[in-house]
Amino acid sequence: MIDYRRRMRANLAIAVIGLVLFAVFPLVANSGLVFLAGLVAVNIVFGLSWNLLFSGVGLLSFGHAMFFAGGAYAMAVVSLRLPDLPFAGGLLLGAMTGGIIALVFGYIALRRASGVYFAVLTLAFSELVHIVITKTTFLGRNDGLVGIPRPVINLGVASIDLTSALAYYYFIIVAMAVVAFALWSFQNSPAGRLIQAIRQDPVRTAFLGTDVRSWQLTAFVLSGTIAAFCGAVMVPFAQIASPEIAYWTVSTEPILFTLLGGAGHFWGPAVGAILFGAIDYATRALYGLSEITVGMLLLGVVLLMPGGLLGFLLSRRTAARRLTGSGKRVPMANAEKAT
Amino acid sequence: MASTETLLAVRDLNAFYGGSHIIRNAAFSVGPGESVALLGRNGAGKTTLMKSLLDAGPRVEGEIMFDGADIAGVPTDERSRRGLMLVPEDRRIYPNISVGENIELGRHAARAGKALSLKDIFTLFPLIEPLRDRAGYQLSGGQQQLVAVARGLLGAPRLLLLDEPVEGLAPVVVQDMARHIERIRQTQDLALLIAEQNLSFARACTDRVVLIDTGRIVFDGTWEDFDADPGLKERYLAV
Repeated sequence: MIDYRRRMRANLAIAVIGLVLFAVFPLVANSGLVFLAGLVAVNIVFGLSWNLLFSGVGLLSFGHAMFFAGGAYAMAVVSLRLPDLPFAGGLLLGAMTGGIIALVFGYIALRRASGVYFAVLTLAFSELVHIVITKTTFLGRNDGLVGIPRPVINLGVASIDLTSALAYYYFIIVAMAVVAFALWSFQNSPAGRLIQAIRQDPVRTAFLGTDVRSWQLTAFVLSGTIAAFCGAVMVPFAQIASPEIAYWTVSTEPILFTLLGGAGHFWGPAVGAILFGAIDYATRALYGLSEITVGMLLLGVVLLMPGGLLGFLLSRRTAARRLTGSGKRVPMANAEKAT
Repeated sequence: MASTETLLAVRDLNAFYGGSHIIRNAAFSVGPGESVALLGRNGAGKTTLMKSLLDAGPRVEGEIMFDGADIAGVPTDERSRRGLMLVPEDRRIYPNISVGENIELGRHAARAGKALSLKDIFTLFPLIEPLRDRAGYQLSGGQQQLVAVARGLLGAPRLLLLDEPVEGLAPVVVQDMARHIERIRQTQDLALLIAEQNLSFARACTDRVVLIDTGRIVFDGTWEDFDADPGLKERYLAV
């Protein structure tokens, strides 16, 4: 039997425990590490947004940097040019920018391509966005936009000062925990189930009267909106929006997070993003070693743990339970996906 | 304007997979409330013909009139929403969602105000109700088939296409499926087209026979006409 309430409680607990761990991190780490942890928190949701497409609806995007950069630049422009606009308005505009980019490019790409061709088209569109940013004076060309202020959120009766890096860090982790759990809730809603049905069997889902392409586009827009929200949240933290965040290497990051952590698990990209952040930190003094380490690790994971780190750990746990006779005897592949 | 005489009328239907010409000049019809068996050996073209009706796979030429309208160029999902529902041979139950959710997915094909409720479905298929919260992968073959038919029925289709619904099922389950289909025929206002190789099952569930061999319709008539010519069985169904 599928116990959805239990599943929801368990995943809410994961989000809350993750939030608590990130919340106590500044108590034991220096400001450099806290900054890195803030970026990891953003990357977790960035990875989850990519996996909504990949494991959710079965679309492979090689161009998620365009959404992240779209949100980041929209937030940067709003912060610098429209300082009177409330911070929430900037976040909303940032997220909407990603949604609009996804709607336009997704509409074209999904009409014309699927599978690998769709992935290559997203890469091409992402490069287009990168080139537009580097050639547009309004967006700072290759220098990017710098000096982006952190906000003070005015609630009328009180105000929340996020101008310090630490205060903004706490804002990031709360925002990311809320978005991550909202994303989990969406994926487990009737609409989310339909999107999963499309990934598992698009032809059958069309037989059932579903306009598959419209739902794929919906998932693409939602994924782009969330990725752009991540970019918009990140910009005041880093206080810079540079063209590097639109470069294709940024598009590979959520793919790496997901493959490292496990694509078949909702929290797989989160595990991958944390691991990726740790490797990045451990190899920060040695130029190029980070990429080599991540590359080797990815190769090892793909060859030895096709279900990613989370998939490997859960399969070990199930195997241990079977040995002790306390586990449920269900096929592993299905049991993994059911979590 | 919907026809009152013919629900589905197929004329000069040709279907191709790449350069392979699978269905050749097929012509047949199904009336409202009628139940028709589509018989033929493995590879005769039954599944291709059914998929052609939904435009789901082969390249199709020819005329398909459904409910009085030519549905050429109408996408698969729209055909489903117009009441043409296929339950494919491999059942395709989604493994990681519950039985109830699997059935609810059929609501996307519902015609305006016509969908059945889950309660209606459980009345038609009492065996499914206790399985409601079970995951799709936890069902036996017979249970999967019942859920697939139930899912197809939820949107209250006008014509339900069942592609080999009892293939691989135990004889007792086949009898049970025949009883369920009989109950559906008695209680629901819909027509059936059932592709089958199991003659006794097809006979129990249908009024008329369309026989297909190497992509051509070679017989179209009542069961009495079919039985009157023993050579038909010998030529087109014997292995």
